[in-house]
Amino acid sequence: MSSEDLKPRVKELIVRQLKLDVDPASIKDDAPLFGDADGGLGLDSIDALELVLGVEKEFGIKVQDEEVGVKAFASVDALCDFIRAKAA
Amino acid sequence: MTFQPLPHVFPFRFADAVVASAGRAEGRVRAAVTAGAQASRGGPLAATLYGELIAQAALLLEGGDADLGRRGFLAGISDLVVGREAVPGDVLDVDVTVAGRFGDSVKFDGRIWDASGAEVARGSIVVRHGRAA
Repeated sequence: MSSEDLKPRVKELIVRQLKLDVDPASIKDDAPLFGDADGGLGLDSIDALELVLGVEKEFGIKVQDEEVGVKAFASVDALCDFIRAKAA
Repeated sequence: MTFQPLPHVFPFRFADAVVASAGRAEGRVRAAVTAGAQASRGGPLAATLYGELIAQAALLLEGGDADLGRRGFLAGISDLVVGREAVPGDVLDVDVTVAGRFGDSVKFDGRIWDASGAEVARGSIVVRHGRAA
């Protein structure tokens, strides 16, 4: 699956799983998902758990531990890289 | 349905006993709703307390470790559906399954039944394991 195919799907997953009131397309590819940085989504650790469940359900991929999750959930780009690497 | 504030009065405990355990943090816990309980204040339980009840059941089942239960706390409630209010005299069974774990957070799905087998409420909760100081 190409990066361009995957990004909209990942953004839809984030919005649906976390019940966010934002347009998926408005999420920037490289913006930090967690924390209070400008342009980021400001997600927290509880959201991380929901994302883990969503990624497992949508893509059949388990996020093994917190260390892996911190890297995988850094941004949409990072999450797409993680999913592609696991699916390869 | 009245949404009352949580009764932050000690002791704030519903879950009485583990009825069945099916592996780590999964099983059934029983809770009697009594007229004298601080949580019910002689009337029906507030809807938010079903989330607390699921959390207490989950932490009771989470290894059966009393210390762990004391360190864990309810961090979130979602998709809570209440069928009817539980009133003093009800004996509730709470079925808990693990939906997922990540870091110190665990999401549980819970279903609460009355003695006749009717569903009283269901929902998901997230608990966090506090770390020992």
